[in-house]
Amino acid sequence: MIVFDRVSFSYGMQQVLKDVSFSIPFNQKVAILGGSGDGKTTLLKLILGLLRPDSGRIIIAGEDITDKKEDELREIRTKFSIVFQEGALFDSLNVKENVAFGLREYTKMTEGEIDKKVRELLGEVGLEHAIELMPEELSGGMLRRVAIMRSLAAFDPKMFLYDEATTGLDPVNADIICKLILDLTKGGKGFIIVTHKVFDALRLAERFMFLKNGAIIFDGNRDQLMQSPFVEIQVFLKELTPPSEASSR
Amino acid sequence: MKRETIHIKELISDLQDFYFLSVQGLLGLVKRPFYSKDVIEQMDYSGAGSFFIILLISLFIGMALSLQLSAELSAMGFKMYIGKIVGVSIIREIGPVLTALVYAGRVGSGVASELGSMVLGHQVDTLRVFGVDPVRKLVTPRVLGCLIMLPALTIIGDTVSIVGGYYIAVFVSHQSGSVYWSSIRDVLNFENVVSGSIKPFIFAYLIACISCYMGLSTKGGAVGLRRATTRAVVASFIMIIVSDFVLTRVLFYILGFSL
Repeated sequence: MIVFDRVSFSYGMQQVLKDVSFSIPFNQKVAILGGSGDGKTTLLKLILGLLRPDSGRIIIAGEDITDKKEDELREIRTKFSIVFQEGALFDSLNVKENVAFGLREYTKMTEGEIDKKVRELLGEVGLEHAIELMPEELSGGMLRRVAIMRSLAAFDPKMFLYDEATTGLDPVNADIICKLILDLTKGGKGFIIVTHKVFDALRLAERFMFLKNGAIIFDGNRDQLMQSPFVEIQVFLKELTPPSEASSR
Repeated sequence: MKRETIHIKELISDLQDFYFLSVQGLLGLVKRPFYSKDVIEQMDYSGAGSFFIILLISLFIGMALSLQLSAELSAMGFKMYIGKIVGVSIIREIGPVLTALVYAGRVGSGVASELGSMVLGHQVDTLRVFGVDPVRKLVTPRVLGCLIMLPALTIIGDTVSIVGGYYIAVFVSHQSGSVYWSSIRDVLNFENVVSGSIKPFIFAYLIACISCYMGLSTKGGAVGLRRATTRAVVASFIMIIVSDFVLTRVLFYILGFSL
Protein backbone atom coordinates (compact mmCIF):
# COMPACT_ATOMS: atom_id res chain seq x y z
CA MET A 1 0.00 0.00 0.00
CA ILE A 2 1.19 3.53 -0.85
CA VAL A 3 0.01 6.19 1.59
CA PHE A 4 0.43 9.95 1.16
CA ASP A 5 -0.47 11.87 4.29
CA ARG A 6 -0.82 15.64 3.75
CA VAL A 7 2.24 15.76 1.49
CA SER A 8 3.44 19.12 0.21
CA PHE A 9 6.35 19.71 -2.13
CA SER A 10 7.87 22.72 -3.85
CA TYR A 11 10.71 23.42 -6.25
CA GLY A 12 12.29 26.53 -4.72
CA MET A 13 9.49 29.06 -4.47
CA GLN A 14 7.11 27.18 -6.74
CA GLN A 15 4.74 24.96 -4.80
CA VAL A 16 3.92 21.83 -6.80
CA LEU A 17 1.90 19.69 -4.36
CA LYS A 18 -0.29 21.00 -1.54
CA ASP A 19 -1.44 18.75 1.31
CA VAL A 20 -1.99 15.76 -0.94
CA SER A 21 -3.44 12.69 0.79
CA PHE A 22 -4.41 9.32 -0.69
CA SER A 23 -3.75 5.63 -0.37
CA ILE A 24 -3.27 3.15 -3.21
CA PRO A 25 -3.04 -0.65 -2.75
CA PHE A 26 -0.22 -2.30 -4.73
CA ASN A 27 -2.70 -4.28 -6.85
CA GLN A 28 -4.80 -1.32 -7.98
CA LYS A 29 -4.74 0.13 -11.51
CA VAL A 30 -4.63 3.88 -11.10
CA ALA A 31 -4.44 6.71 -13.60
CA ILE A 32 -3.37 10.13 -12.42
CA LEU A 33 -4.58 12.76 -14.84
CA GLY A 34 -3.68 16.41 -15.02
CA GLY A 35 -2.13 19.11 -17.14
CA SER A 36 1.54 19.80 -17.66
CA GLY A 37 3.26 21.12 -14.54
CA ASP A 38 0.49 20.01 -12.20
CA GLY A 39 2.82 17.70 -10.25
CA LYS A 40 2.13 14.28 -11.80
CA THR A 41 5.77 13.25 -12.35
CA THR A 42 6.74 14.81 -8.99
CA LEU A 43 4.24 12.49 -7.35
CA LEU A 44 5.89 9.40 -8.87
CA LYS A 45 9.33 10.63 -7.81
CA LEU A 46 8.06 11.13 -4.24
CA ILE A 47 6.78 7.54 -4.17
CA LEU A 48 10.28 6.32 -5.05
CA GLY A 49 12.00 8.66 -2.62
CA LEU A 50 13.77 10.45 -5.46
CA LEU A 51 12.42 13.70 -3.98
CA ARG A 52 11.85 14.54 -0.33
CA PRO A 53 8.57 16.24 0.65
CA ASP A 54 8.58 19.63 2.38
CA SER A 55 5.96 18.37 4.81
CA GLY A 56 3.70 15.36 5.35
CA ARG A 57 4.50 11.64 5.37
CA ILE A 58 4.90 9.01 2.68
CA ILE A 59 4.40 5.41 3.75
CA ILE A 60 5.28 2.51 1.44
CA ALA A 61 4.38 -1.04 2.49
CA GLY A 62 4.01 0.15 6.08
CA GLU A 63 7.40 1.89 6.16
CA ASP A 64 7.65 5.64 6.53
CA ILE A 65 10.14 6.64 3.80
CA THR A 66 9.91 10.40 4.37
CA ASP A 67 13.26 10.75 6.12
CA LYS A 68 15.05 7.66 4.87
CA LYS A 69 18.58 7.96 3.52
CA GLU A 70 19.54 7.02 -0.03
CA ASP A 71 20.95 3.62 1.02
CA GLU A 72 17.83 2.77 3.01
CA LEU A 73 15.60 3.58 0.04
CA ARG A 74 17.25 0.96 -2.16
CA GLU A 75 15.06 -1.82 -0.78
CA ILE A 76 11.87 0.26 -1.14
CA ARG A 77 12.66 1.07 -4.78
CA THR A 78 12.93 -2.60 -5.71
CA LYS A 79 9.19 -2.89 -5.00
CA PHE A 80 8.51 -0.74 -8.04
CA SER A 81 9.28 -0.77 -11.70
CA ILE A 82 9.29 2.71 -13.19
CA VAL A 83 9.29 3.78 -16.80
CA PHE A 84 10.05 7.46 -17.18
CA GLN A 85 8.81 9.67 -19.96
CA GLU A 86 10.43 8.70 -23.28
CA GLY A 87 12.04 5.68 -21.64
CA ALA A 88 15.11 7.36 -20.11
CA LEU A 89 17.43 4.78 -21.67
CA PHE A 90 21.14 5.42 -21.15
CA ASP A 91 22.35 7.16 -24.32
CA SER A 92 25.81 5.66 -24.17
CA LEU A 93 24.61 2.04 -23.96
CA ASN A 94 22.98 -0.08 -26.64
CA VAL A 95 19.66 -1.88 -26.13
CA LYS A 96 21.32 -5.01 -24.76
CA GLU A 97 23.44 -3.08 -22.28
CA ASN A 98 20.44 -1.00 -21.19
CA VAL A 99 18.33 -4.08 -20.44
CA ALA A 100 21.29 -5.82 -18.82
CA PHE A 101 22.08 -2.80 -16.62
CA GLY A 102 20.05 -3.96 -13.60
CA LEU A 103 21.21 -7.56 -14.04
CA ARG A 104 24.85 -6.49 -13.88
CA GLU A 105 24.23 -4.31 -10.80
CA TYR A 106 21.99 -6.67 -8.86
CA THR A 107 22.79 -10.24 -9.87
CA LYS A 108 25.86 -12.42 -10.26
CA MET A 109 24.75 -13.84 -13.60
CA THR A 110 27.41 -14.83 -16.11
CA GLU A 111 27.68 -13.05 -19.47
CA GLY A 112 25.99 -16.02 -21.15
CA GLU A 113 23.08 -15.96 -18.71
CA ILE A 114 22.69 -12.20 -19.08
CA ASP A 115 22.66 -12.50 -22.87
CA LYS A 116 20.01 -15.24 -22.71
CA LYS A 117 17.83 -13.29 -20.27
CA VAL A 118 18.08 -10.06 -22.31
CA ARG A 119 17.12 -11.88 -25.55
CA GLU A 120 14.21 -13.53 -23.74
CA LEU A 121 12.90 -10.20 -22.43
CA LEU A 122 13.32 -8.42 -25.75
CA GLY A 123 11.69 -11.34 -27.50
CA GLU A 124 8.58 -10.84 -25.34
CA VAL A 125 8.12 -7.37 -26.83
CA GLY A 126 9.22 -8.28 -30.34
CA LEU A 127 12.52 -6.40 -30.18
CA GLU A 128 15.11 -9.15 -30.32
CA HIS A 129 16.30 -7.78 -33.66
CA ALA A 130 17.07 -4.41 -32.03
CA ILE A 131 19.48 -5.83 -29.45
CA GLU A 132 22.56 -4.08 -30.84
CA LEU A 133 20.89 -0.76 -31.67
CA MET A 134 21.61 2.46 -29.80
CA PRO A 135 18.72 4.39 -28.17
CA GLU A 136 18.91 7.14 -30.82
CA GLU A 137 18.12 4.53 -33.49
CA LEU A 138 14.86 3.47 -31.82
CA SER A 139 11.38 4.84 -32.41
CA GLY A 140 9.34 6.24 -29.49
CA GLY A 141 7.37 3.00 -29.11
CA MET A 142 10.53 0.86 -29.17
CA LEU A 143 12.15 3.10 -26.55
CA ARG A 144 9.21 2.58 -24.17
CA ARG A 145 9.19 -1.19 -24.73
CA VAL A 146 12.91 -1.46 -24.04
CA ALA A 147 12.51 0.72 -20.95
CA ILE A 148 9.70 -1.48 -19.63
CA MET A 149 11.79 -4.62 -20.12
CA ARG A 150 14.83 -2.96 -18.53
CA SER A 151 12.77 -2.11 -15.45
CA LEU A 152 11.64 -5.73 -15.21
CA ALA A 153 14.96 -7.43 -15.84
CA ALA A 154 16.45 -7.39 -12.35
CA PHE A 155 13.48 -6.99 -10.04
CA ASP A 156 10.15 -8.64 -9.45
CA PRO A 157 8.20 -5.44 -8.71
CA LYS A 158 4.97 -5.27 -6.72
CA MET A 159 3.75 -2.34 -8.75
CA PHE A 160 4.51 -0.54 -12.01
CA LEU A 161 4.86 3.21 -12.33
CA TYR A 162 4.50 4.77 -15.77
CA ASP A 163 5.27 8.39 -16.52
CA GLU A 164 3.43 9.46 -19.69
CA ALA A 165 3.94 6.00 -21.15
CA THR A 166 1.95 6.67 -24.32
CA THR A 167 2.55 10.39 -24.77
CA GLY A 168 3.97 11.32 -28.15
CA LEU A 169 3.23 7.92 -29.68
CA ASP A 170 1.09 7.23 -32.73
CA PRO A 171 -2.13 5.25 -32.08
CA VAL A 172 -0.56 1.94 -33.20
CA ASN A 173 2.42 2.23 -30.86
CA ALA A 174 0.24 3.60 -28.04
CA ASP A 175 -1.95 0.51 -28.47
CA ILE A 176 1.10 -1.80 -28.26
CA ILE A 177 2.22 -0.09 -25.04
CA CYS A 178 -1.28 -0.23 -23.52
CA LYS A 179 -1.52 -3.97 -24.28
CA LEU A 180 1.91 -4.53 -22.74
CA ILE A 181 0.91 -2.59 -19.61
CA LEU A 182 -2.24 -4.72 -19.27
CA ASP A 183 -0.31 -7.95 -19.92
CA LEU A 184 2.10 -7.14 -17.11
CA THR A 185 -0.77 -6.77 -14.62
CA LYS A 186 -2.17 -10.24 -15.31
CA GLY A 187 -0.46 -11.64 -12.23
CA GLY A 188 -2.53 -9.33 -10.04
CA LYS A 189 0.02 -6.50 -9.98
CA GLY A 190 -1.16 -2.93 -10.12
CA PHE A 191 0.18 0.22 -11.66
CA ILE A 192 0.05 3.97 -11.47
CA ILE A 193 0.13 5.71 -14.81
CA VAL A 194 0.42 9.47 -14.97
CA THR A 195 -0.86 10.84 -18.22
CA HIS A 196 -2.86 13.55 -19.87
CA LYS A 197 -4.28 11.12 -22.44
CA VAL A 198 -7.78 10.32 -21.13
CA PHE A 199 -8.42 7.73 -23.82
CA ASP A 200 -5.50 5.57 -22.71
CA ALA A 201 -6.23 6.16 -19.03
CA LEU A 202 -9.84 4.94 -19.44
CA ARG A 203 -8.64 1.89 -21.30
CA LEU A 204 -6.11 0.90 -18.64
CA ALA A 205 -7.20 2.04 -15.19
CA GLU A 206 -9.97 1.32 -12.70
CA ARG A 207 -9.37 4.31 -10.45
CA PHE A 208 -8.76 7.88 -11.56
CA MET A 209 -7.26 10.82 -9.76
CA PHE A 210 -7.12 14.33 -11.19
CA LEU A 211 -4.42 16.79 -10.17
CA LYS A 212 -4.97 20.49 -10.57
CA ASN A 213 -2.56 23.13 -9.25
CA GLY A 214 -0.95 20.63 -6.91
CA ALA A 215 -4.17 19.35 -5.33
CA ILE A 216 -6.26 16.25 -6.03
CA ILE A 217 -9.63 17.61 -7.14
CA PHE A 218 -11.07 14.23 -8.12
CA ASP A 219 -10.59 10.64 -6.96
CA GLY A 220 -13.04 8.03 -8.20
CA ASN A 221 -13.95 5.31 -10.68
CA ARG A 222 -14.69 5.51 -14.39
CA ASP A 223 -18.41 6.34 -14.05
CA GLN A 224 -17.74 9.05 -11.50
CA LEU A 225 -15.06 10.50 -13.78
CA MET A 226 -17.37 10.58 -16.79
CA GLN A 227 -20.04 12.38 -14.78
CA SER A 228 -17.69 14.71 -12.95
CA PRO A 229 -18.92 18.30 -12.91
CA PHE A 230 -15.40 19.76 -12.76
CA VAL A 231 -14.72 21.99 -15.75
CA GLU A 232 -11.07 20.87 -15.95
CA ILE A 233 -12.11 17.22 -16.19
CA GLN A 234 -14.76 18.03 -18.78
CA VAL A 235 -12.07 19.70 -20.89
CA PHE A 236 -9.96 16.51 -20.69
CA LEU A 237 -12.96 14.31 -21.52
CA LYS A 238 -13.51 16.25 -24.75
CA GLU A 239 -10.61 14.17 -26.14
CA LEU A 240 -13.07 11.26 -26.28
CA THR A 241 -15.56 13.17 -28.40
CA PRO A 242 -15.20 13.01 -32.22
CA PRO A 243 -14.30 16.48 -33.63
CA SER A 244 -17.60 16.84 -35.56
CA GLU A 245 -19.66 16.21 -32.41
CA ALA A 246 -17.50 18.52 -30.35
CA SER A 247 -17.90 21.40 -32.82
CA SER A 248 -21.67 20.96 -33.05
CA ARG A 249 -22.00 21.33 -29.26
CA MET B 1 9.23 33.46 3.48
CA LYS B 2 10.92 36.41 1.81
CA ARG B 3 12.41 35.92 -1.66
CA GLU B 4 15.86 37.12 -0.45
CA THR B 5 15.84 34.63 2.43
CA ILE B 6 15.02 31.79 0.01
CA HIS B 7 17.83 32.85 -2.33
CA ILE B 8 20.34 32.93 0.54
CA LYS B 9 19.15 29.51 1.73
CA GLU B 10 19.49 28.15 -1.82
CA LEU B 11 23.01 29.59 -2.15
CA ILE B 12 24.13 27.99 1.12
CA SER B 13 22.49 24.73 0.10
CA ASP B 14 24.25 24.86 -3.32
CA LEU B 15 27.65 25.43 -1.69
CA GLN B 16 27.02 22.58 0.71
CA ASP B 17 25.97 20.28 -2.16
CA PHE B 18 29.07 21.25 -4.15
CA TYR B 19 31.29 20.50 -1.17
CA PHE B 20 29.70 17.07 -0.62
CA LEU B 21 29.88 16.20 -4.33
CA SER B 22 33.56 17.16 -4.48
CA VAL B 23 34.44 15.11 -1.41
CA GLN B 24 32.34 12.10 -2.44
CA GLY B 25 33.71 12.25 -5.98
CA LEU B 26 37.22 11.95 -4.56
CA LEU B 27 36.31 9.31 -1.96
CA GLY B 28 34.88 7.21 -4.79
CA LEU B 29 38.46 6.64 -5.93
CA VAL B 30 39.15 4.48 -2.90
CA LYS B 31 35.74 2.86 -2.38
CA ARG B 32 33.96 0.10 -4.26
CA PRO B 33 32.35 -0.22 -6.75
CA PHE B 34 34.87 0.97 -9.36
CA TYR B 35 33.60 1.78 -12.82
CA SER B 36 36.87 1.23 -14.69
CA LYS B 37 35.19 1.11 -18.12
CA ASP B 38 33.72 4.56 -17.49
CA VAL B 39 37.15 5.87 -16.41
CA ILE B 40 38.72 4.68 -19.68
CA GLU B 41 35.88 6.25 -21.67
CA GLN B 42 36.40 9.54 -19.84
CA MET B 43 40.15 9.44 -20.39
CA ASP B 44 39.58 8.88 -24.07
CA TYR B 45 37.05 11.69 -24.31
CA SER B 46 38.93 14.22 -22.23
CA GLY B 47 42.50 13.27 -23.10
CA ALA B 48 42.67 11.92 -26.61
CA GLY B 49 39.87 14.27 -27.68
CA SER B 50 41.72 17.37 -26.41
CA PHE B 51 45.16 16.31 -27.62
CA PHE B 52 45.33 18.06 -31.01
CA ILE B 53 43.75 21.32 -29.89
CA ILE B 54 46.19 21.60 -26.98
CA LEU B 55 49.08 20.70 -29.26
CA LEU B 56 48.12 23.44 -31.71
CA ILE B 57 47.48 26.16 -29.13
CA SER B 58 50.64 25.35 -27.16
CA LEU B 59 52.78 25.49 -30.29
CA PHE B 60 51.54 28.93 -31.29
CA ILE B 61 51.68 30.32 -27.75
CA GLY B 62 55.30 29.16 -27.46
CA MET B 63 56.15 30.79 -30.79
CA ALA B 64 54.33 34.03 -29.97
CA LEU B 65 56.00 34.27 -26.58
CA SER B 66 59.43 33.67 -28.07
CA LEU B 67 58.75 36.26 -30.77
CA GLN B 68 57.69 38.90 -28.26
CA LEU B 69 60.73 38.24 -26.08
CA SER B 70 63.07 38.27 -29.07
CA ALA B 71 61.91 41.74 -30.04
CA GLU B 72 62.34 43.16 -26.54
CA LEU B 73 65.49 41.32 -25.47
CA SER B 74 67.35 41.88 -28.78
CA ALA B 75 66.96 45.62 -28.33
CA MET B 76 68.53 45.35 -24.87
CA GLY B 77 71.21 42.89 -25.95
CA PHE B 78 69.86 40.04 -23.79
CA LYS B 79 68.83 37.69 -26.58
CA MET B 80 70.57 34.78 -24.84
CA TYR B 81 67.90 34.87 -22.13
CA ILE B 82 65.04 33.99 -24.48
CA GLY B 83 65.27 30.27 -23.66
CA LYS B 84 65.37 30.89 -19.93
CA ILE B 85 62.35 33.22 -19.89
CA VAL B 86 60.35 31.03 -22.29
CA GLY B 87 61.16 27.96 -20.17
CA VAL B 88 60.29 29.49 -16.81
CA SER B 89 57.07 31.13 -17.98
CA ILE B 90 55.88 28.04 -19.86
CA ILE B 91 56.75 25.46 -17.21
CA ARG B 92 55.65 27.41 -14.16
CA GLU B 93 52.74 29.46 -15.40
CA ILE B 94 51.56 29.62 -19.00
CA GLY B 95 51.64 25.89 -19.73
CA PRO B 96 49.51 24.68 -16.79
CA VAL B 97 47.06 27.62 -16.95
CA LEU B 98 46.64 27.64 -20.71
CA THR B 99 46.17 23.88 -20.93
CA ALA B 100 43.65 23.99 -18.07
CA LEU B 101 41.69 26.82 -19.71
CA VAL B 102 41.49 24.99 -23.05
CA TYR B 103 40.61 21.75 -21.24
CA ALA B 104 37.88 23.50 -19.21
CA GLY B 105 36.41 25.00 -22.36
CA ARG B 106 36.23 21.68 -24.13
CA VAL B 107 35.85 19.03 -21.44
CA GLY B 108 34.08 21.12 -18.79
CA SER B 109 31.33 22.20 -21.16
CA GLY B 110 31.01 18.65 -22.51
CA VAL B 111 30.70 17.11 -19.06
CA ALA B 112 28.16 19.69 -17.88
CA SER B 113 25.97 19.32 -20.95
CA GLU B 114 26.18 15.51 -20.93
CA LEU B 115 25.23 15.22 -17.26
CA GLY B 116 22.63 17.97 -17.66
CA SER B 117 20.89 16.13 -20.46
CA MET B 118 21.02 12.94 -18.39
CA VAL B 119 19.27 14.79 -15.56
CA LEU B 120 16.61 16.23 -17.85
CA GLY B 121 16.08 12.86 -19.53
CA HIS B 122 15.59 11.17 -16.11
CA GLN B 123 18.65 8.97 -16.68
CA VAL B 124 20.15 10.06 -13.36
CA ASP B 125 16.86 9.21 -11.60
CA THR B 126 16.93 5.84 -13.34
CA LEU B 127 20.42 5.19 -11.93
CA ARG B 128 19.13 5.95 -8.43
CA VAL B 129 16.14 3.66 -8.94
CA PHE B 130 18.58 0.89 -9.84
CA GLY B 131 20.42 1.59 -6.59
CA VAL B 132 23.46 3.06 -8.36
CA ASP B 133 25.04 6.10 -6.73
CA PRO B 134 25.25 8.77 -9.48
CA VAL B 135 28.34 10.27 -7.84
CA ARG B 136 30.24 6.97 -8.02
CA LYS B 137 29.04 6.17 -11.52
CA LEU B 138 29.21 9.62 -13.11
CA VAL B 139 31.40 11.94 -11.02
CA THR B 140 34.28 9.72 -9.85
CA PRO B 141 35.22 8.46 -13.35
CA ARG B 142 35.22 12.04 -14.62
CA VAL B 143 37.35 13.26 -11.69
CA LEU B 144 39.83 10.44 -12.23
CA GLY B 145 39.85 10.94 -16.00
CA CYS B 146 40.67 14.62 -15.52
CA LEU B 147 43.28 13.92 -12.81
CA ILE B 148 45.15 11.61 -15.19
CA MET B 149 44.73 13.41 -18.48
CA LEU B 150 45.18 17.11 -17.63
CA PRO B 151 48.67 16.70 -16.11
CA ALA B 152 49.68 14.50 -19.07
CA LEU B 153 48.37 17.06 -21.54
CA THR B 154 50.15 19.83 -19.64
CA ILE B 155 53.51 18.04 -20.00
CA ILE B 156 52.90 17.55 -23.73
CA GLY B 157 51.73 21.16 -24.10
CA ASP B 158 54.80 22.50 -22.25
CA THR B 159 57.12 20.47 -24.48
CA VAL B 160 55.44 21.66 -27.66
CA SER B 161 55.50 25.30 -26.48
CA ILE B 162 59.22 25.09 -25.76
CA VAL B 163 59.82 23.57 -29.19
CA GLY B 164 57.78 26.41 -30.74
CA GLY B 165 59.89 28.89 -28.80
CA TYR B 166 63.04 27.18 -30.08
CA TYR B 167 61.89 27.49 -33.69
CA ILE B 168 61.41 31.26 -33.38
CA ALA B 169 64.56 31.81 -31.30
CA VAL B 170 66.77 29.93 -33.74
CA PHE B 171 65.23 30.49 -37.17
CA VAL B 172 63.74 33.98 -36.73
CA SER B 173 65.91 35.60 -34.03
CA HIS B 174 69.02 33.70 -35.14
CA GLN B 175 70.03 32.71 -31.64
CA SER B 176 72.22 29.67 -31.11
CA GLY B 177 70.21 26.46 -30.61
CA SER B 178 72.63 25.11 -28.03
CA VAL B 179 72.27 28.29 -25.93
CA TYR B 180 68.48 27.95 -26.06
CA TRP B 181 68.54 24.30 -24.97
CA SER B 182 71.10 24.88 -22.26
CA SER B 183 68.83 27.65 -20.86
CA ILE B 184 65.90 25.23 -20.94
CA ARG B 185 67.99 22.60 -19.11
CA ASP B 186 68.82 25.21 -16.45
CA VAL B 187 65.19 26.01 -15.76
CA LEU B 188 64.18 22.35 -15.59
CA ASN B 189 65.19 22.23 -11.93
CA PHE B 190 63.28 20.62 -9.06
CA GLU B 191 61.50 23.81 -7.90
CA ASN B 192 60.22 24.77 -11.35
CA VAL B 193 59.14 21.27 -12.26
CA VAL B 194 57.29 20.78 -8.94
CA SER B 195 55.71 24.20 -9.27
CA GLY B 196 54.42 23.38 -12.74
CA SER B 197 53.40 19.82 -11.91
CA ILE B 198 51.16 20.41 -8.89
CA LYS B 199 48.93 22.97 -10.58
CA PRO B 200 47.41 20.66 -13.25
CA PHE B 201 46.18 18.24 -10.57
CA ILE B 202 44.40 21.02 -8.67
CA PHE B 203 42.98 22.51 -11.89
CA ALA B 204 41.80 19.06 -13.05
CA TYR B 205 39.98 18.43 -9.78
CA LEU B 206 38.33 21.86 -9.89
CA ILE B 207 37.24 21.50 -13.54
CA ALA B 208 35.80 18.01 -12.96
CA CYS B 209 33.92 18.91 -9.77
CA ILE B 210 32.55 22.21 -11.06
CA SER B 211 31.41 20.71 -14.38
CA CYS B 212 29.83 17.66 -12.73
CA TYR B 213 28.07 19.80 -10.15
CA MET B 214 26.71 22.23 -12.73
CA GLY B 215 25.55 19.35 -14.93
CA LEU B 216 23.88 17.43 -12.12
CA SER B 217 22.07 20.51 -10.84
CA THR B 218 20.56 21.34 -14.25
CA LYS B 219 16.91 22.43 -14.15
CA GLY B 220 14.53 23.81 -16.71
CA GLY B 221 14.91 22.19 -20.14
CA ALA B 222 17.08 23.49 -22.97
CA VAL B 223 17.52 26.93 -21.39
CA GLY B 224 18.59 25.33 -18.13
CA LEU B 225 21.07 23.15 -19.99
CA ARG B 226 22.56 26.18 -21.75
CA ARG B 227 22.81 27.98 -18.40
CA ALA B 228 24.48 24.99 -16.71
CA THR B 229 27.05 24.62 -19.50
CA THR B 230 27.89 28.33 -19.51
CA ARG B 231 28.18 28.39 -15.73
CA ALA B 232 30.46 25.35 -15.75
CA VAL B 233 32.90 27.00 -18.16
CA VAL B 234 32.80 30.45 -16.55
CA ALA B 235 33.15 29.09 -12.99
CA SER B 236 35.99 26.78 -14.09
CA PHE B 237 37.84 29.68 -15.77
CA ILE B 238 37.49 31.89 -12.71
CA MET B 239 38.55 29.14 -10.32
CA ILE B 240 41.59 28.26 -12.48
CA ILE B 241 42.79 31.87 -12.51
CA VAL B 242 42.12 32.49 -8.81
CA SER B 243 43.58 29.18 -7.65
CA ASP B 244 46.61 29.74 -9.89
CA PHE B 245 47.45 32.90 -7.99
CA VAL B 246 46.88 31.25 -4.60
CA LEU B 247 48.93 28.18 -5.59
CA THR B 248 51.74 30.32 -6.97
CA ARG B 249 51.90 32.23 -3.71
CA VAL B 250 51.86 29.05 -1.62
CA LEU B 251 54.42 27.28 -3.82
CA PHE B 252 56.70 30.31 -3.73
CA TYR B 253 56.61 30.08 0.05
CA ILE B 254 57.07 26.30 0.22
CA LEU B 255 59.76 26.05 -2.47
CA GLY B 256 61.64 29.10 -1.19
CA PHE B 257 61.51 31.31 -4.30
CA SER B 258 62.81 34.74 -3.38
CA LEU B 259 60.80 37.78 -4.48
